[in-house]
Amino acid sequence: MADSAELIEALDRRVRRRDERREFFRHAMGVGALAAGGVAAMGFSTAARAQTAAPSDSDILNLALNLEYLEAQFYQYAVSGEGLPASQLTGTGTQGAVTGGRKANLTDRTVIQYAREIAADEVAHVAALRTALGSAAVAQPAINISGAAGGPFTAAATAAGIDLSASGGVFDPYASDDNFLIGAYIFEDVGVTAYQGAAPLLTNVDIVDAAAGILAAEAFHAGIIRSALYARGVATPALRTNADKISDARDLLDGTRVSAGPPNIVADDDQGISPTTVNGQLQANIVPTDANGRTFSRTSEQVHNIVYLTRSQATSGGFFPNGTNNPNAALTRSGAN
Amino acid sequence: MSNETSLVEMIEGVEHQRSARRNFMRLCGGAAVMTGGLSLLAACDDDNGNDTPTPTPSPTPTPTSAAVTDVDVLNFALQLEYLEANYYAYATTGQGIAGGLQSGTGTQGSVITGSGTGAARQVTFTDPVLAQYAREIAADEVAHVTFLRTALGASAAAQASINLSGSASVTTPGGTAVGAFTAAARAAGVVGATDTFDPFASDENFLIGSYLLTDVGVTAYRGSARLISNKTFLEAAAGILATECYHDGVIRSSLWQRGLAAPTIYSRIKQISDARDGLDGSTDTDQDIGDATTANLVPTNASGLVLGRTPQQVLNVVYLARTQVNAGGFFPAGVNGNVRTSGAN
Repeated sequence: MADSAELIEALDRRVRRRDERREFFRHAMGVGALAAGGVAAMGFSTAARAQTAAPSDSDILNLALNLEYLEAQFYQYAVSGEGLPASQLTGTGTQGAVTGGRKANLTDRTVIQYAREIAADEVAHVAALRTALGSAAVAQPAINISGAAGGPFTAAATAAGIDLSASGGVFDPYASDDNFLIGAYIFEDVGVTAYQGAAPLLTNVDIVDAAAGILAAEAFHAGIIRSALYARGVATPALRTNADKISDARDLLDGTRVSAGPPNIVADDDQGISPTTVNGQLQANIVPTDANGRTFSRTSEQVHNIVYLTRSQATSGGFFPNGTNNPNAALTRSGAN
Repeated sequence: MSNETSLVEMIEGVEHQRSARRNFMRLCGGAAVMTGGLSLLAACDDDNGNDTPTPTPSPTPTPTSAAVTDVDVLNFALQLEYLEANYYAYATTGQGIAGGLQSGTGTQGSVITGSGTGAARQVTFTDPVLAQYAREIAADEVAHVTFLRTALGASAAAQASINLSGSASVTTPGGTAVGAFTAAARAAGVVGATDTFDPFASDENFLIGSYLLTDVGVTAYRGSARLISNKTFLEAAAGILATECYHDGVIRSSLWQRGLAAPTIYSRIKQISDARDGLDGSTDTDQDIGDATTANLVPTNASGLVLGRTPQQVLNVVYLARTQVNAGGFFPAGVNGNVRTSGAN
């Protein structure tokens, strides 16, 4: 929580910077030039950092498994009031418990359907990854999904600058349909960027194939959650602006490092959902894409910056109070941004 | 432009490496042991509940020819993007994609709009939110065409002749034909054998037309991931796959929500899904959106993996043919590029 004021302050700076950058592109280049520049850049390595030892496919799948534990627990609790079965939690590393999940107060039949289906998919992802990894699967680490005052959802919402004055300074993702969707939004795009960033690091073609299948499912989920927020935002405009604020906060947390890749890392890798005006007409922003119509990639460190809710290099925090489990320590750290 | 040349050279270099790797893998006995569990799971499709899991090793069999290069795969994707980009461009603006985006290798064709009922044209949206979704998707699809063409450089295949019509009768390079949307809808039983289906007539019809195309795009990229060897292109293709899935999530959830007030949507979507499944062979590659009681917005197998199609299966769907052919349906002169023949199912 000490970070919040600093985050908000830095966030303000970032928004200004982005506005300036957008102005620059609008005047100097235009979309076509941007697209060409992006592709040309692929041929030239501007990577700032030397690669450390490449993670193995099994390390990468374990990174994914940590994220799936988090998502599965959140959705399972929200839908049923119960978490994953004990048999799905074992493995290497230190097994931890879940703090704070509960059944969400969902009333809209549409939101209930979305939540149930996504929960089932995430539980299936945990099982699939555990099966693929066999005895190499990591245990579920300690996970904090509390909606209370000291919990990570409130920390994330506060850092994002969401107005919580009507709820006593607390953001509880289990309190209502709208809050549940915002809570889901915090994770969903992150999963997509994590799988996309990992895809070019995988070597085995069968694992690439399976990872593409999970990436695709996460992107469906994100599309469903984002469009639900967008549509409900017609009646409740704060849903759109709050989603925008969370994206800005994620963008801030994961830094401005740039790498031609693969994985291709850009400074501005997150987008809210509010519409833009193009040729005098409103256009939704359900899909966070670059000028080439592609979603973004994040490195393992950047993903950890978000789930640990820190801009600093750390090995725990936020949704993972004891850190993620991985035999490759490099895949348990957040970056220094 | 010299960058494009170097990209293609880089790809060709990778192709040599891949051939060597394939030979190595063949000697070593095929698919790696450590992933056996996952591949088996991936094959364990359980969606309609009417089939028992079959122990086929992979949902996306290796192509019949070992000579499929990354360029071939990307050009195949480009052909589908031409189709999608034109559909959303017509629906949102009444015009197809820019002429400068259509050139390339092979035979360049134009969009066949048809006339009267079913003609490709701007949709008069009644729901402003849907119009805003449609404009976003249209912009993304044009960006995909632009990106793939730039990445492929001089190797990019031209836009083929595209039957984008729901009209009862259109003139194609192969002669008189039924508008492809109407042909697909008739085959699925969504409309009667002599009725027309006009995807540009209403919000609901536009969504059904979108479902018809976007679902296929998702399965195509999903199935192609394992065929791309260059890691830069693999990541780029993953980014496009994800974008198509966001789109499809929007489309399928919009349809499902509308189905609460108009339940025939559920049965019509099921008919289309079943028809596609019937075209592309015995593997289960397609799912409907469920019904008012239980939504099925993400087409996944029991492991939560989105289903994929081989390029040959994709061509079965867009050619509207169960047989091994080189043209038909939405592509009356066939697609351009080296991957152009549908499977014999």
